[in-house]
Amino acid sequence: MIIRLTAVVAALLCLAGQAGATTLNELIEGARKEGTLRGQWGQASFGGSEGFKEIVANINKKYKLDLKGQYTPGPDMQALMLRIIQEAAAGQPASTDVYLGNAQAMLDGLNSKALRPMTYNQFIQDKPANEGQFNPIAADGTHVAVATAVVGVQFNTNAVKGNDIPKRIEDVLNPKWKGKIASTPYAAGMREFATPDFLGREKMVDFTRKLSKQIAGLMRCGEVERITSGEFIMLAFTCGGNDVNVAKRTGAPVGHSVMEEGTVLHMRYAAVPKNSRSPNAGALLIHYLLSAEGQELLWRIDGLDLHLFPGSQTKRELDIVRAAKGKIIINSPAWLASFKDYAAIQKELEGILRQK
Amino acid sequence: MTASRLRSFLAGTQTSSALLSLAALPMAVILVLVVAMFWVSLQKGALGTPSAIYTLANYREVFADPFIIGVAVNTLIFTVTATLVALLFGLPVAWLVERTTLPGKTLLYAIMTLGLLIPGIYTAMGWTLIAHPRIGLVNRWLVDLFNLDAGPINIATPIGMGFVQGLSLAALAFILTSQMFRAMNPSLEEAARVHGMSFGRIMRRITLPLARPGILAAVIYIFTIGIATFDIPAILGLGNRVYLLSTFIYLKVHPQGAGLPEYGITGVVGAFMIVVAGLLTLWYSQTLRQGHRFEVVTGKGYKPTLIPLGRWSLAAWGFILLYALFSKLLPLLLIAYAALTPYFVPPSMESMKHLSFSHFHGMDWELVLRGLKNTALLVTVVPLAVLLLAFALSWLIVRSRSRLRYVLEFGAFLPQALPEVILAIGALLLALFVIGSRIPLYGSVWIIAIVYIVARLAFATRALNGSLLQIHRELEEAAFVSGLSTARTAWRVLFPLIRPTLFSVWIWTALLVYRELTAAVFLAVHDNITLPAVIWSYWYSGSINKASAVTLLMTLVLAPLIFIAWWFGRRSQVSLN
Repeated sequence: MIIRLTAVVAALLCLAGQAGATTLNELIEGARKEGTLRGQWGQASFGGSEGFKEIVANINKKYKLDLKGQYTPGPDMQALMLRIIQEAAAGQPASTDVYLGNAQAMLDGLNSKALRPMTYNQFIQDKPANEGQFNPIAADGTHVAVATAVVGVQFNTNAVKGNDIPKRIEDVLNPKWKGKIASTPYAAGMREFATPDFLGREKMVDFTRKLSKQIAGLMRCGEVERITSGEFIMLAFTCGGNDVNVAKRTGAPVGHSVMEEGTVLHMRYAAVPKNSRSPNAGALLIHYLLSAEGQELLWRIDGLDLHLFPGSQTKRELDIVRAAKGKIIINSPAWLASFKDYAAIQKELEGILRQK
Repeated sequence: MTASRLRSFLAGTQTSSALLSLAALPMAVILVLVVAMFWVSLQKGALGTPSAIYTLANYREVFADPFIIGVAVNTLIFTVTATLVALLFGLPVAWLVERTTLPGKTLLYAIMTLGLLIPGIYTAMGWTLIAHPRIGLVNRWLVDLFNLDAGPINIATPIGMGFVQGLSLAALAFILTSQMFRAMNPSLEEAARVHGMSFGRIMRRITLPLARPGILAAVIYIFTIGIATFDIPAILGLGNRVYLLSTFIYLKVHPQGAGLPEYGITGVVGAFMIVVAGLLTLWYSQTLRQGHRFEVVTGKGYKPTLIPLGRWSLAAWGFILLYALFSKLLPLLLIAYAALTPYFVPPSMESMKHLSFSHFHGMDWELVLRGLKNTALLVTVVPLAVLLLAFALSWLIVRSRSRLRYVLEFGAFLPQALPEVILAIGALLLALFVIGSRIPLYGSVWIIAIVYIVARLAFATRALNGSLLQIHRELEEAAFVSGLSTARTAWRVLFPLIRPTLFSVWIWTALLVYRELTAAVFLAVHDNITLPAVIWSYWYSGSINKASAVTLLMTLVLAPLIFIAWWFGRRSQVSLN
């Protein structure tokens, strides 16, 4: 009885949340009343603390608000989602009013019903286009894709130049690079390449075995300094080329190359946690990120934007892949949910990579 | 009346109820956290939610992995090397500073302490630049000089990493053993010298055996740190696919791209570490059982004399400076360089042209100051609480004859053996699901303070046990017979005698709290973020330059404060020297 009653109350609260802001004006007024926007995600994501300051300043300017922004660096995307799930289960307010993260974390949040449905379709004017089955705004209003990270190969431009820059996946196996390159401990990119839609498990397992003999060691995505220092001259494969886009602006000798066979799009999502203290302000941030100004800012502070917008910088990178008839996989919660062997394949590839 | 008080004291039944209550408090917290750890180790899924399931899969995943044998061997080699290197540098420096006339002791204390302000990642990166097989300066120099195909030195082996880790841990070996050398009554050594025993034999037969409890405590403490340490193995080891327990577990716990973090795996490591801690405590308890053999501070005359070094002072300082160069100066220079360079490339004349303060301008100072405020609060509160609780524990462990003392000794050491993330997970789950909103602990700086207090007890009790062991009971017995209460005996007799140790424990706990990371990162919500968590967030996100900028700034601010603290501490008769 108590459980049923709780479920009814939760459903009513959800509806109240949706009904609370069906237009942009209602959203703005709701945010005005809330007054504060708390953000927590990794410093590597969305420009970190400095990026958050700019986002809040721009939101205040665009929507004529005086929101107080408070950013705190958080753990990695999945660990933060776990915390949001636990906070929701304990009835505590969420650490962050808006969650920004990857498809896997979003899937976990959806499975745990930790995300708040919002009426994004009603108040977002600049809706990004759908791509095939992929709809950037979830039908149930729980999450929205706001940016795209494109998987490829990162390299030190002082050591890898001209024709040496890898264009095809097999290029990283060139004996010239033996003992000088790195991969990630979590088989970034390769786990998606191994799906039946792309190269398939067998081919990728074979490739990973060869790559494992080729690499000197493992490094995390985002450790650009280990490429610029020359400790490794290449990373095969990345979680996305956005950190290279940002590092290049400082003059760092680093580049990113997308493979002709195709690539994986690691979508970056935004969602409002069920127990957000400022859900309207959180949704307004999502609204802003999907505006032209928001996309420009994302490109500047984090080197990525949503490839579904016509003027997107990321789209240009993908147009080259498409022109070469390469395949493109969109890593979304729906795609992950449909691919049952994903975790098993990832474990298998990780196991190969950790052996010398 | 007096006779019965003395009898009960000697029987160990006159343990102050106040001390017992104080000791019981952290023990209760530790017990709850250990139970939470086992509970976590038996679950998969989102802990604390209905989706979590009870299973033994975490144990299977760790112990059935064929990799675990190689990992265990690597970890053992790494840990033994780190412990030996730490003692190789820490022990002689401790002896030099406390038992000889070496000049500049305050500076030496400051140098040793400074190491704690330098995160291990910089030590690892510094050694990458020195001894990486391909880009290491020494290797490149050797390749050019001898026309070799590849660099002959490889730091990314368990022994190499253990060496680097040992350099970092030498400061702890120093502090854990220096109190003992300081309080040591030299009468036995002087008697031996009068009878013509050589310096080497005195060392071997008298000094080192007398220092055994302290050395053993340091060995055990450093050994357990070595097992759990992450930063140096992560940079040097993962980069070359040499796995230690910490990096192996990291890979298992953080399934990037597929699923939620598997903290249950960490619980399994905690369970394993409890067994290791049990064995180590048993070993340590054997030494404590013979504690009377190490009591050299008695009620009789006690005047510590120092061994004149003469010209050997130069050699001693040469040894110290060599150690300081590799373990402190090199990482510090690297921090300064990384803070000023726009992007990280090996230092060269060309890269020096691009140095600027741009990373200082682009910093989120509001965040840094928020972290600093919380860290200052923790550094103020935690060491005092640790001192109070650790004294109660140590007194009961060393002075009581009850079997309870073994439980207390094991309990006080447990937090050292448990992965800190487990303490943090336990605190988080308790704050979220048990305490809830009744006490607003979740998201506050006090939840971090509790974890820190519990985590630092092992260090403090190790140091205090060593000192208390050297104080003969007759001093307390005399005070007790004269009618002083246990508390007043502690205040009037024990505290003055172990004041140097108390001061060392206070300053070192403050520094360990200042640099503490794991729990802070795990428990940071908004208002409770600490400065190391801010630095870590920059480093983890690839902004090593900003991480270096904050570290450099804090080191420059804290280094003179540390020097002043040691100068003041030693000058105000805190040191017996």
